[in-house]
Amino acid sequence: MAHLSPVTGRYVTIDVMGDECKVFFLENGQGQPLVCQHTAGCHNHQWRELLEDEEITKDYRVIAYDLVRHGKSDPPKNREWWKEEYRLTADYYTAFIVAFCDALELEDPIFMGSSFGGQVALQLALRHPDRFKAVIPVEAADYSPGFFLDWWQHPHANAAQVCASGVWDLMAPQSPDKDRWATWFYYTQGSEAFRGDLYFYSVDHDLRGRLEEIDGEKCPIVIMNAEYDYLTNPEEGQTTAEQIKGAEFIEMKAIGHFPMSENYPVFKEYLQQALQIIDGRAGAPVGGAQQGTQGREQQGEEDKGLLDRAKEKLT
Amino acid sequence: MTAEAAVAGGWIEDFRRASDEDAEIQAHGRYYSCAFLLDMEEHSYLVSMHAGKLEEILEDPGPLDERYQFVIRASAETWRNFAQDPPPPMYHGLFAASFRTDMSLEGDLLVLMQNLRCVVRQMELLRVTGVPV
Repeated sequence: MAHLSPVTGRYVTIDVMGDECKVFFLENGQGQPLVCQHTAGCHNHQWRELLEDEEITKDYRVIAYDLVRHGKSDPPKNREWWKEEYRLTADYYTAFIVAFCDALELEDPIFMGSSFGGQVALQLALRHPDRFKAVIPVEAADYSPGFFLDWWQHPHANAAQVCASGVWDLMAPQSPDKDRWATWFYYTQGSEAFRGDLYFYSVDHDLRGRLEEIDGEKCPIVIMNAEYDYLTNPEEGQTTAEQIKGAEFIEMKAIGHFPMSENYPVFKEYLQQALQIIDGRAGAPVGGAQQGTQGREQQGEEDKGLLDRAKEKLT
Repeated sequence: MTAEAAVAGGWIEDFRRASDEDAEIQAHGRYYSCAFLLDMEEHSYLVSMHAGKLEEILEDPGPLDERYQFVIRASAETWRNFAQDPPPPMYHGLFAASFRTDMSLEGDLLVLMQNLRCVVRQMELLRVTGVPV
């Protein structure tokens, strides 16, 4: 008898700022939509274990798409994309995600992304707080310079190996070899997109001085950064969270920049904490502007209590 | 031979064996041919690779002894942290340590990038052999 996975894959065609994008996505589960964005230069297999985790999918409809130009989502079908240098912008990236969620008619989805997916989660909270129930920025910060590099595409080096081994030590040495190598393998496949993705990651994404414009009470935000992430370390994640009204921060220990892909069992514990915080927030009063400072402080105390309770429940 | 030199001599042999017997380097290092300097503050080591095999290691080479293409330079303390198993965060790889500690990558970085997979793996072998500083 065939050993079939419950995960299914489909295509949906969407319009993104005039681009015709045929988007491939994997999904499994029912209930609250949980939309997952892979990391730069990669594809949705990074979410392979979450997609098959019955404990999560019994309550969550997990949807992991390939961003246009990644995995099985081809470059825009109606443009001569090969005549342009690819540089992803925050405008385009957020428009893509909203168009995808609209096309699938997702109601109040939770958005989760890692690395450049974490950065765009912050951008979504800033630009579209009404479209999402909550966001979970993983490996995120207000700014992440230094990775928009020509090495990822240099014609005198093996770009596949430069990309894959260049991100190797973004992962923690404690993560299982088989999962680190699976992640390495994915990274050999996306070098043409990687550099352009990193234009968003290290250049166009810059929320320094703008974090106070994000309302984490209207759109709950749980930032999670990992101990072995050298690009956006836990301190930077926490500093970012502290500047966003109502945002929470969780430090992930003994794991790195691709937590869902490099060591899912460890990541899952932290994800469950984040989902519990969001569940708790769903019943909490919103409208931070009316609450005033005192209200926000009370909200913060309530949130802290939720985080503690989530941790207790999981340990 | 001083005690210190004996330690280093032992390390050179250990590192040569670890590298030449490593399944990953031998599986993928057919074109791994280059020379680089490991500057560990207290000592430096000029490593010459040929077709995936460790051809020679010169300890504290003189200024005109041999040529090399790139340098991995860090304080002795950083190398000691790098060689721990498991290493503390930010000492766990060449890129991590270059972004976050006093490690620097210098010289012709194109050669490093051309051989990145094998160099990254070879440096991880320091967690097996330790470092001679």
